[in-house]
Amino acid sequence: MASKRIQKELADLQKDPPTSCSAGPAGDDLFHWQATIMGPSDSPYSGGVFFVTIHFPPDYPFKPPKVQFQTKSPKVQFQTKVYHPNINSQGSICLDILKEQWSPALTISKVLLSICSLLTDPNPDDPLVPEIAHIYKTDRSRYEETAREWTRKYAMG
Amino acid sequence: MSSEDYGDSDYGDESMGDYGSDGSDQGYGSDGDFAYSDDDGAGMGSPLAKGTRKTFVVMDKDELRERLKAAVAQVVDLLCISDAEATRALRFYKWDLGKLQEEWFGDPDAVRNKETCKICFESFPVPDMHCARCKHYYCKDCWRGYIQTAIDSGPSCLDLRCPDPECKAAVPRSVVFSVADAPHRQRYEEFAVRSFVDDQRQIAWCPAPDCQNAVLSLSDRLGVAQDIFCRCGAAFCFNCKEEAHRPVDCETVRLWMIKNSAESENLNWILANTKPCPKCTRPIEKNQGCMHMTCSQCRHEFCWLCQGPWAEHGERTGGFYNCNRFKKAVEKGEIDEQEQKRAHARQSLERYMHYWQRWAENDSSRKKALQQVDKFRGEQQEILSERTATPTSQLKFIVDAWMQVVHCRRVLKWTYAIAYYTFEETAGASKEARDQMAQHQEFFEFNQGQAEHYLEKLHHKATWNAFREQLIGLTDVTRSHFDKLVNEFEKGLDEALKEYDVPRADTGPSLVAAAAAAAAEASSRDAKGKAAAQPSRRVTRSSKRRQEAGEDPEAMVLEEAAGFWQCRHCTYANEDMEAQECEVCGQPRRAASQR
Repeated sequence: MASKRIQKELADLQKDPPTSCSAGPAGDDLFHWQATIMGPSDSPYSGGVFFVTIHFPPDYPFKPPKVQFQTKSPKVQFQTKVYHPNINSQGSICLDILKEQWSPALTISKVLLSICSLLTDPNPDDPLVPEIAHIYKTDRSRYEETAREWTRKYAMG
Repeated sequence: MSSEDYGDSDYGDESMGDYGSDGSDQGYGSDGDFAYSDDDGAGMGSPLAKGTRKTFVVMDKDELRERLKAAVAQVVDLLCISDAEATRALRFYKWDLGKLQEEWFGDPDAVRNKETCKICFESFPVPDMHCARCKHYYCKDCWRGYIQTAIDSGPSCLDLRCPDPECKAAVPRSVVFSVADAPHRQRYEEFAVRSFVDDQRQIAWCPAPDCQNAVLSLSDRLGVAQDIFCRCGAAFCFNCKEEAHRPVDCETVRLWMIKNSAESENLNWILANTKPCPKCTRPIEKNQGCMHMTCSQCRHEFCWLCQGPWAEHGERTGGFYNCNRFKKAVEKGEIDEQEQKRAHARQSLERYMHYWQRWAENDSSRKKALQQVDKFRGEQQEILSERTATPTSQLKFIVDAWMQVVHCRRVLKWTYAIAYYTFEETAGASKEARDQMAQHQEFFEFNQGQAEHYLEKLHHKATWNAFREQLIGLTDVTRSHFDKLVNEFEKGLDEALKEYDVPRADTGPSLVAAAAAAAAEASSRDAKGKAAAQPSRRVTRSSKRRQEAGEDPEAMVLEEAAGFWQCRHCTYANEDMEAQECEVCGQPRRAASQR
């Protein structure tokens, strides 16, 4: 069931790729994908390219996929640090549809689009990094500046 | 393209009929794309010159609805299927009438009933799919995966919604039961029942470990202690789920249980019985020996009395055991205060221990009694029934007695917790209040004592021991009688009589009575049982009176010796030697002819 569905999703992504993201298996393992997300143009992440790893559980799509931004790790080539109230230094993403709001009717393409909109509209009331959330709420320009700075440093070129 | 209206269109034609209601040139192409042109465009101020072929049609909502209706009606007419089926089929083929028609004439059944599962993205005939009353169809396998995953993750599966993230339709039971496997169905049922119990204040689970029963409280005073006796034998309080504890209220029980387990009692004990090492402050208990203490932890040597270093004790301070430093400290009031505190703590600890011991004793008696009931129910009952040829139903009174003991022990146990809290000395209470409390305490303790007395009696009787004591006594007495009979006969009756120091001429009952007295005494020496000891006291007093009444002296003597008389009618062993009627059947003790 899981691999059939993942194959279908892959075919769909190739046939009709969503704007600003791409995704596909990282190697031979169909259950381990790599995705890229372009920083949305109306956000301080604009111009950055972010790498995301996706692990499908064996009971996918009834259990949500594990989606993470890639961070420093000797194993992976790409390293991305994201300055965002809902993304921590481990690359974990705090997103409801990846947890309790997951539904088997959702797809990777929808998840990636949700991450894009999370980049544009952080959710500071349910923060994973309270410090960033605090700055986001109290000093928006400083937040945007830091986010841009990090994007330039870690997600460009 | 023809320009006829729907109703009269020739649908057999490969190119589908016209949609437009205006009769202009427009098509509903077989490739699925709408390619409209509309004369209205020009009439409404369109920049297009008149006569130019229109390449689009502008529609408002009503027109759109009209067109949708028309498209469906066309398919209904063409394929002779219902509105709903036509809509579903059109949606499935993305409103591509040509494709639908093509497929239809290939395999009408497949077209009629196909829908894409939004989870696995495969197409399935509709009868093989389910939806949660919301028209979001998913295949059986996906429903199964969805529902079983939800059931595995807990009771929230009862609130399961349609997998569509935007849809709020609840998944009906019927869908759950038609797709989930048996173990999951069972778990779902369990969750449903559990929620039925958990969400209702007046229903509660029996807290006994293996018990599956729930209890519906019919009391109109929820939130107050209510003793529940479950079918499994457990007794618990409906309100706090602790063991049944009437007449104590739940709050007192809670305080008592906390007190029993709390560190505070340990601290009290430490405070009362230990002193801290002056150097490392670890508590030290002095359980023997002299005042010269050596801390087992830091090896500090000090004096138990004054807690000063032992090095300062010696000849110059007035001798080792005449610690003047202590006196000085008392004079200064330093140690006095500490001692007072310790004395107070000791006192309150003793008070608590008094009540706790009695509470705990009754608790352990209750547990033992429960074990006894189980044992009796298990095997003893059958054995007893066999031996006494009594149906087990008639032996129920024994179980009843034991259950009464269990119940009473529990109540009694809790009365000690009440007493601990109710009769606590409050500082600064007026004399009247104290007197009243003393009065209450006296009355309470009298009642408690009475209840306890009868409980002890019942508990004792219910034991095998009580019966055993009686039997041993009777055995001893009987043996003693027969020994005497044999011995005295062998010795020669004359000799025997001399031993009793009874004048020869005075024969008859008194001689027999004397012999019986001697026998009873002998038996009381052998057996320490009460039953055997009593007759020796009674024998002369009551037997004389009854001899005067003309009763059979020998039978009478035997009875006196045994400590009971057996009813001639029902064989009950009556213990009341004075009674003239059987305690059980009420028949007279003697047959009329013997009077």
